Amino acid sequence: MNRIKHYKTFKGGYKFVNFTGQPQDKLIELGAPKEVLIPLRQGFGNEVMPIVKVGDEVKAGQIIGRDDESISSPIHSSITGKVKEIIKKNYFRREVTFIVIEGDTSSEWLKLDISEKDWRLCTEEELEKKLYLSGVTRLGTCGIPTRYKSSIISPNEVEYLFVHGIGSEPYNILPKTLLSGKKLFHFIEGIQILKKILPKAKIYLCLSNKEKKLSEEIEKLTYDFDWFELALLEPKYPQGYDEMLVPTILGKSFPYGYSAANIGIISLNIRAILHVYEAIVENKPFIDRIIALSGPGFKENPHIKVRIGTPLQEIIKNYLVSETRVRVILNSLMTGHLLNDYSLPVDSTFSHIIAIPENTTRELFSFLRPGLHSYSYSNTFLTLKRFSKRPDTNIHGEERPCISCSWCEEVCPVGIIPHLLSKMVKKNMIDERLMKYGIFNCIGCNLCSFVCPSKIPLAKNIKDGQEKLIVHGCDRTQCILPYFDLKGLEEYRGIK
Amino acid sequence: MIRKLLDFGYKLLEKNKKLEKFKPVLNAVDGFFFGTAKTTISSPHCVDCIDIKRFMVTVIIALIPSLLSAVYFYGLRVIFLIIISYIFGGLSEVVFAIIRKREIEEGFLVTGLIFPLTLPPTVPWWVVAIGIIFGVIFGKEVFGGTGRNIFNPALVGRIFVTISFPKIMTISWYKPLVKGIAGFGKWKPDAITSATPLMLYKSEKTLTSLKELLFGFAPGCLGETFKIGIMIGGIFLVFTKVANWRIPLTYLLSVFFFSYFGHIFSPDKFAPPTFQLLTGGLLFGAFFMATDPVTSPFTNQGKFIVGIMLGFLTVIIRVFSGYVEGVMFAILLVNGFTPLIDYLVVERKYGRKYKIIKY
Repeated sequence: MNRIKHYKTFKGGYKFVNFTGQPQDKLIELGAPKEVLIPLRQGFGNEVMPIVKVGDEVKAGQIIGRDDESISSPIHSSITGKVKEIIKKNYFRREVTFIVIEGDTSSEWLKLDISEKDWRLCTEEELEKKLYLSGVTRLGTCGIPTRYKSSIISPNEVEYLFVHGIGSEPYNILPKTLLSGKKLFHFIEGIQILKKILPKAKIYLCLSNKEKKLSEEIEKLTYDFDWFELALLEPKYPQGYDEMLVPTILGKSFPYGYSAANIGIISLNIRAILHVYEAIVENKPFIDRIIALSGPGFKENPHIKVRIGTPLQEIIKNYLVSETRVRVILNSLMTGHLLNDYSLPVDSTFSHIIAIPENTTRELFSFLRPGLHSYSYSNTFLTLKRFSKRPDTNIHGEERPCISCSWCEEVCPVGIIPHLLSKMVKKNMIDERLMKYGIFNCIGCNLCSFVCPSKIPLAKNIKDGQEKLIVHGCDRTQCILPYFDLKGLEEYRGIK
Repeated sequence: MIRKLLDFGYKLLEKNKKLEKFKPVLNAVDGFFFGTAKTTISSPHCVDCIDIKRFMVTVIIALIPSLLSAVYFYGLRVIFLIIISYIFGGLSEVVFAIIRKREIEEGFLVTGLIFPLTLPPTVPWWVVAIGIIFGVIFGKEVFGGTGRNIFNPALVGRIFVTISFPKIMTISWYKPLVKGIAGFGKWKPDAITSATPLMLYKSEKTLTSLKELLFGFAPGCLGETFKIGIMIGGIFLVFTKVANWRIPLTYLLSVFFFSYFGHIFSPDKFAPPTFQLLTGGLLFGAFFMATDPVTSPFTNQGKFIVGIMLGFLTVIIRVFSGYVEGVMFAILLVNGFTPLIDYLVVERKYGRKYKIIKY
């Protein structure tokens, strides 16, 4: 039975082609660092309570933070050593408690303290407990549901599980590297484990339609799974978002602004599945993470396996180019946070560290030059796909009034008219019409700001508009709740 | 070198308070020669390489075939007219920028070139100057500058001079030069003729041959005669996404449709469709004026509606009005409907009632 299915892509979006500094097919393992800072709020869930004190000896893999009452998953020490201090720090605009551990750089780690019997013989409860204690359940946009309050819904409410490795961003982790050799079998086994935990779920593996070889291999391995489907999609940004996966694959509209879990859908990436396998089969707690160093700001672009809590500095110091000033960005070129403070640690949500040059040079006749290496939504540069594109931070032009070229509307994946909303917000016309025109449908993919030839920060203006509307007492619940039957709403509010 | 001169200019402005008003001019010159040094502040950290200058320059590149054909057929005087248009258009732009204390915008680069190309070859230079000044001021600046204008500034100027100086604008035409290097070696053609193909059809019902129309051997406005060049430029514009394909396609198709059926029902009044498509300013208007993003609807459905309206009006004006050419009136008229069409399309799009969705 052929279970590969090609899906029609959504309307809008933009395909980032051939940006220089794509991650290479190479995995480097970084050993345990001397010191780690472990945030007690990583991934999905509330902040957990520290259960160690300053001066305590900890082993790598030992639980150091845990809160069974609220929606959260335990957090482990990633190195063996001594707790140096417990501090509060500003971490991505949020006050988070950190546990600082000084280690002896030994690469040992402590196995999970549960029986190691074959997972096929375990009950669901045992599996869920193991997964919860390993900390893997905090992965994904809404956690992996277990009976231990790791997500906002219970395992039985999950109807679909999306495993995505589409690679629609400018820079993507290579599925090829993640699933090389034996890892592929681990991956398939991870999916089977999840199927056992989430008995009602139909599982979709979403891959780019370019990954022909990989998808054929997976198809052979999953031949007799009748609950599994391999969905091949066009790698067009922002296809990897949950908000886009649901409409393309299920053909249903998404409650924008809510989580996929609210409609009974869990979405995880390929690495999360591998972590599930490691936790269940190898009894390994969630202490390390594969990160791709991407972008022309690095000398080379390997995938790096690091312990959680490793300061950024340790990771990028050997790779950053020294001759130019670079900007380091977390996870996504389009939506990522700026990383100024290299002393901040890596946590379980990191997937890419991107470095692109800060370009402040003024080019003579920049508007007349043909640009084989320039990336643009339009074809005005007369360049071809095979020429590599060099991203930088220059805005490439002065801000001008909107000329209603409607490129922003063409690329908008959710069908709103960014320039119209932006104009209304700028003119301070904050009323119900903004909501009617779907301002709360914005998923923040930032494509409109990217394509604008007038260099208007459309996405920012839309966000401002949303904030102003909320001040006026209108919020997205009025657009979504009357039309959707959502699950786990109370719990979801508790988290945010 | 240029950098040094500009820096000197900035220093001068700093010293002299009175000269500060002219800062937009210097900024514009600076921006013209050098790209920006600004970087993105927050996400998206990397933005598209295109800017409005390149956007406008693409239109100018697409106009090059028309421009060259105009010089070839009507002599070097065409270049003089274009320079006049740029000088006076640019001056009115600069005056308004200084009064309003705003940056000079790039829109006039296109307006200043399109406007002279729509004029008849015999036009005196002062008509060009008056037309462009009127077009820039009353077509654009009174509405608040680029991006806010309702009407296409080049067309406002063109219609103003058509109505104000009907004799100059309609009676005498040059016979295009065709031999050797033709217009590239001459100031202006000498032979005068009195009728364009559309006029000939209206008065004598004679059809000019397709070859003459396609290559521009028939008399007409400066940039509008060499149809092949216009098509190449237009397709280039559509390819670069600067012009949306929807308007030219529906416009041309609807002209074809209306004149086809008109010709079946009343062959003496309606010219045959291919003749309609290749005469007058239809192709030029469809590719370069109707597609102006500011004055055409931003919604896709709106673009289709506008295309059909334009085709209908063009044929109707050509057939039933006193004017032989209907393109510019049609475009200007439809420009006025654009905000309404957009409003209706947007209201329809977002006015739908949703059903409850269950998963």
